[in-house]
Amino acid sequence: MRRRYQATIASLFLVLILVALAYAGLGTTRAASLLLSGLTLAALYFLLAAGLSLIFGLMDVLNFAHGVLFMIGAYIGYNTLGNPRLLFNTLPLLMALIAGTLAGMAYGWPLRRWETRTRQALAAAVAAGSDRKKTTATLLSRLSPSVVLALAAVALAVWGVRGFPLNLLVAFEPTATGGAIPTAAAQEPLSLMAIRLLKIAGAGILLGPLMVRETGTGRRPVTLRHVLTAIGLAGIGVLILLGRDPLEGFVLSLSVDLRFLLALVAGATVGGLLGALIERTLIRPFYGRPVTQIVLTLGLMFMGMELVKSVWGREGHPPMAMPSFFAQSCRSENLVVWLAERCSSVNVLGRAFPTYRLFIIAIGILILAAVGLLLRYSRLGMIIRAGVQDSDMVEALGINVRRVFTLVFALGSALAALGGVVAAPFVGVYPEMGGTFQLQAFIAVVIGGMGSYPGTAVGALLLGLARAFGDALVTSGITLPWAAQAFQASPALARASTVLIMAIVLLVRPAGIFGQKE
Amino acid sequence: MANRYLLEVQDIHTFIGQFHILQGVSLTVPEGSITAVLGRNGAGKTTTLKSILGLTPPRSGQVLFAGDAIHGRQAYEIAALGIGYVPEHRAVFTQLTVRENLRIAERKRGDLERKADFIFSLFPDLKRLYRLPGGHLSGGQQQMLSIARALVPDNRLLLIDEPSEGLAPILIQELMEAIRRLSAKVTVVLVEQNFQMASRLADRYVIIDDGRSVHSGPMPELLADEAVIRRYLGATM
Repeated sequence: MRRRYQATIASLFLVLILVALAYAGLGTTRAASLLLSGLTLAALYFLLAAGLSLIFGLMDVLNFAHGVLFMIGAYIGYNTLGNPRLLFNTLPLLMALIAGTLAGMAYGWPLRRWETRTRQALAAAVAAGSDRKKTTATLLSRLSPSVVLALAAVALAVWGVRGFPLNLLVAFEPTATGGAIPTAAAQEPLSLMAIRLLKIAGAGILLGPLMVRETGTGRRPVTLRHVLTAIGLAGIGVLILLGRDPLEGFVLSLSVDLRFLLALVAGATVGGLLGALIERTLIRPFYGRPVTQIVLTLGLMFMGMELVKSVWGREGHPPMAMPSFFAQSCRSENLVVWLAERCSSVNVLGRAFPTYRLFIIAIGILILAAVGLLLRYSRLGMIIRAGVQDSDMVEALGINVRRVFTLVFALGSALAALGGVVAAPFVGVYPEMGGTFQLQAFIAVVIGGMGSYPGTAVGALLLGLARAFGDALVTSGITLPWAAQAFQASPALARASTVLIMAIVLLVRPAGIFGQKE
Repeated sequence: MANRYLLEVQDIHTFIGQFHILQGVSLTVPEGSITAVLGRNGAGKTTTLKSILGLTPPRSGQVLFAGDAIHGRQAYEIAALGIGYVPEHRAVFTQLTVRENLRIAERKRGDLERKADFIFSLFPDLKRLYRLPGGHLSGGQQQMLSIARALVPDNRLLLIDEPSEGLAPILIQELMEAIRRLSAKVTVVLVEQNFQMASRLADRYVIIDDGRSVHSGPMPELLADEAVIRRYLGATM
């Protein structure tokens, strides 16, 4: 506890020095707007770093695919806001997949039990020294029913989505002046979609057994709830598909503010679901094997980027449309007036500052507080904090720690995707956006102390400020109180500033500011 | 007499990586008893406990709890059947307060409230330390917290690993008294290096040597058998 106390003091001190230097050299007004710029970046870094830190702390997984989730979140948000047609044509497919998987779990458990028992019987036979059985056992372990099912599922899924006109599912063509022309219907007829739906659901049914843990005890792991959820999901999927035209009309008739809210929810939800899927299928088999995990998540990063490029193109999109609260091109005197005027910028000590960036800062603070409260006061938070220290002991208390792993992975991914949506109107939407932010987020996590939540927040704050003030050093220089001439840094130094901070912090405290010594 | 024993371990073999750690451990634990698992360092005592709980699942052999086969299940499922674990080195959650350390062990809402009186009667110190982080506690206090944590849910069996390790003699006395008192409510399997302590607490024993269970029976029989004690435990009375 004393170490933590010292760490807080030290990091506050560091920030204060930075700010004081800036004030002395830049004058109050510029320093204030730089401070806010720094906070904006810090908020975005934090949204990524929070998940990274939680996932590393609890599961010891370095998730290099985190930035991809950020980027995918941005794309999902962008399309929800401007192109709901895509959403209503793809959501039913996703629901069919999940419903099929749930249904597959229901019939899959006897199959998995049979597989486990056969394997055990063969192992026993091998131990008894039967050569013929040995060959069969080797063959079965190489080409088990699970592998066959997985391959068949992938094949069926690919068949199901083959030729799906994803690129044509555009509700609008943007015009040069920023307006939009509704495009002619490029949707597939319902009959064709129904066939796709069936194929995808079939792929899910094949995948289902793989989701059931191998169990030798023969207890039924699937409940009535699973089956009811499957039926419900399938129903909703079909309803969405049938009502896709009126639904599209409805969403487009909504105000841009509501659609932005929808974009936030859709981005975070898709991010969370993707995260859960990644953890369940790809990460879970490799806990305790860090090298495999790193290669795996790195591979996911490249795959995700190429996948997005193949769907949405390499060029990316201009910044996403902002809610109307930040869209009027004017400058409000203060935040109270801004609420009425909805100007795109606000007066901060005589300089204009974009109001949307204040919104980003607010989101960052909101998430910081929400996750902090979750960790401190909820049972889940208690389990996470305990699991960071000793997940085996948590399991020995009778808690299904694996499920908590999945949940935390999903939560972290959802936060990253949310960050992507929030960043989209600020930096635009492009396939490489994840990489840049991910690198900074990693540095923030390392500076703060791997796996420490307050440390991550402080790390993100330091990096954001360093980045903003570093950029200022490059563009206009800084007059230090003791120097006659303004000091102007090279652009390379600004880019290196964050890494420089990491080097300094790690030299002083090798485990990071809030890190615990191993 | 189907459930004569609360716990029955039948010839389990456990591997850790390539190493064949347990090469045939069997033991039986009658309900209401304290069974001491004895043996030299590295004999496989801790691995035996972990194998029962499924933290290092046995590759072959059977573990029966209240007559049901539990081997092959996930550790959290096994624990939830009513087995509490007090690992060596205590494994108190240092970042969590004493209260949270107890609260996290709840399996039903209100477990802690129902057990609080019993727990504080065993370990009055914990009441005073209730709001402190586990990391601030002394070794003895952490050991008490670790045992208390295993008492929060309705456990029928407690697996206690080396509770006296690194504690002052006066604390060991206190701890023994607490274990004796709690054994009125739950069955205990106790791994213990301190033969003095184990022999005074336990009513049954099993000796593990080189990954095999080599002797077992009622404790008085062991105390009468100087040769076995000298051969396997290197201790004298």
